[in-house]
Amino acid sequence: MEESSGNRESRPQPPPLTADLRELEEQTQVGEIFLSALLRRQLSLSLRVAVTLLVMLGLQPLVAWLVPAYASTDVLSIPLPWLVLGVGSYPVLIALGAYYVRHAERVDDEFSDLMRR
Amino acid sequence: MTSPAAIVGLLAMLAATVTVGIFARRFARTTSDFLVAARAVRPAANAAAISGEYLSAASFLGIAGLVMKYGFDVLWYPVDYAAGYLVLLIFIAGPLRRFGAYTIPDFAEGRFASPRLRRLAVGLVIVIGLFYTLPQMKAAGITVASAVGIPYGAGVLLMAAVVITIVMAGGMRGVTIVQAMQFTVKLFAITTPSFVLLIHFGAPAGIFAHLHSDAVPRLSQPLTVKVNPGDEWQVVETLHVHLDHPTRVRLLSSGPGPAPVDVGTPETQPPGGRREVLLTPSATLPPGRVRWEQPTRVEIPAGSAAPYGAGTPPSSNAAWLRPFGPLAGASGQPLLFTYSLIVAILCGTLGLPHILVRFYTNPDARQARRTALFVLVLVGFFYLWPPLYGALGRLHMARLYTTGLTDAVVLLLPRQIGPSWVGDTLAGITSAGAFAAFAATLSGLLISLAGALGHDIYGRWLRPEAGGAERNLAFRIGALTAGLAAALLGLMVERFDINVLVGWAFAIAASSFFPMLVLGIWWRGLTTAGAALGTATGGVAATLAIATTMVATASPTLAGFLDRNPALAVIMAQPTIVTLPLAVAVMVGVSLAWPRPPTGAAATMLQMHLPERLGLRRDYIHE
Repeated sequence: MEESSGNRESRPQPPPLTADLRELEEQTQVGEIFLSALLRRQLSLSLRVAVTLLVMLGLQPLVAWLVPAYASTDVLSIPLPWLVLGVGSYPVLIALGAYYVRHAERVDDEFSDLMRR
Repeated sequence: MTSPAAIVGLLAMLAATVTVGIFARRFARTTSDFLVAARAVRPAANAAAISGEYLSAASFLGIAGLVMKYGFDVLWYPVDYAAGYLVLLIFIAGPLRRFGAYTIPDFAEGRFASPRLRRLAVGLVIVIGLFYTLPQMKAAGITVASAVGIPYGAGVLLMAAVVITIVMAGGMRGVTIVQAMQFTVKLFAITTPSFVLLIHFGAPAGIFAHLHSDAVPRLSQPLTVKVNPGDEWQVVETLHVHLDHPTRVRLLSSGPGPAPVDVGTPETQPPGGRREVLLTPSATLPPGRVRWEQPTRVEIPAGSAAPYGAGTPPSSNAAWLRPFGPLAGASGQPLLFTYSLIVAILCGTLGLPHILVRFYTNPDARQARRTALFVLVLVGFFYLWPPLYGALGRLHMARLYTTGLTDAVVLLLPRQIGPSWVGDTLAGITSAGAFAAFAATLSGLLISLAGALGHDIYGRWLRPEAGGAERNLAFRIGALTAGLAAALLGLMVERFDINVLVGWAFAIAASSFFPMLVLGIWWRGLTTAGAALGTATGGVAATLAIATTMVATASPTLAGFLDRNPALAVIMAQPTIVTLPLAVAVMVGVSLAWPRPPTGAAATMLQMHLPERLGLRRDYIHE
């Protein structure tokens, strides 16, 4: 297997350090503020997706427990909870993952652009 | 019950694995080749290899077997296995790749500047790794046993030898290619028979309509089983049987329903309603528990409600079809049980040692995230299918409830299809898939364990001065040691459900590595002491709780106590819902009480979170 080529991130040329980058590299207080801002944006994105996931999964047992009609409904003889959990979950998981990847890359890129100005 | 097609399937898969492994061996030279394939594995191949490694025997055989046994509640396993990957993607895939270490112990030492924390992590890698190899060994045993007709133990040893050889020969570079191929085989082997099964048995709507229309699972063909003294059955409906010869049985309890008519001659009537009776060769068993006191051969006509063997709780189809059925419902605390299971698997995935090591094979964080998303797509598609085998198994293979072989339903169900060459071919395909499943996961686990034994214990503590050749030898010896240990332990777990064993590995990982990784990556205030105490507390508490559950299977006193305290029993069997918050509380509490950030923590945070484009990146290990 050869090196993956044509990826601009995999083998970066050492760029000239801008003033902002030097703040980061030397871990000054200004650099700390930059890093905190990046961390906060990435973490809040991750937590948003995580909370959505937890609500999506966590509500199902509760609804089945509190609303017997949900648990006993059949669609074409197949119990509704089987379809919701066993089939419907996967597209939602993939959509959440795609949402996360797109936005995480955007956060990284915006931060890089800001630092490289 | 030898199946030539299944043997061909196994041999073909073995030949393919060995050929690709030998081919790949020519590329594996340095330590870094062995461990992370020189970080040059392409994302698509990497995603297929990760999926190949992640879709273990628990996914390929175990989910179908457990769905067959317990019904709806089991769907939480595949969905959470996939969702665990999303958790891994959103919390650790990118930063951990940027950090650039090989293993969780590397992360522990690099982030917290503490060789002692590293040692703790190595210990946990070994515990979790061994727990996770047990179910793979069980799968290996039943697959080979059902294909070749050799005993379970021989199957375990044979397959262990094969996988150990592959790992010792090729290291991870070989295994990346092998696992990518094995993923393809697994996906093909679960989907193709599914389509044929659907054509043969009808659409899912029809399958479920049949399950609705009958109260209990029934034998679709006459069943002949040999019973031995001490075997117990749960008879759910009055059951007519034919025996080789008059046989003594003990009726342990009688269910409601008509009084038994042809039970035979009551010989004794001890207090407590236990009756020992002599069954005539053509006898009728009443509903309730029956213990065989003499060996005999029992014939049960088609259409009878299948008697359940020990280890399989009887359930009506109505309970099986609905949430909180025989798995969660029987725990006495259905909601607590379900939530604890969800938390364990969601959080346990990213604490599995053999999964994380894969992320270092991506060139950068962007590719690591995209790889994880790709994995989510691949495993999500795969997990649609195993529950179908479970539902079909309940409808057409009720005899597995009697024989206790529900974990083998994926291997045996295709043989129900006629003409027989079609069924045999499909059984060969699913056997090959099962081989791919346990071989892929086992080799991944062996690499992690061999890394812990060779790279950490030997290379760092015993002989830090060892050179490259010596380290490679240590890695190979580590693989051999771990493989043999896993095989010996695997001989002892035939009785346990595959997914129950897997659930324990997830519970320990979720209570120890999960909080250490997530807090360590996102909270710079996490101190070395906090991480060490929290990881140890969570890991030890989860291990003790699980050990209690295992001991209870052998200790009636403990089992009785847990029966009277269902909430406690659920927490002991599935401890994550308590031990994970406990570990987090210890980590945060200790870190806030003694706020001494480890040396270099600020630089580590930079390294994990700064985009590579900025060009400040260094890898933790330079080769």
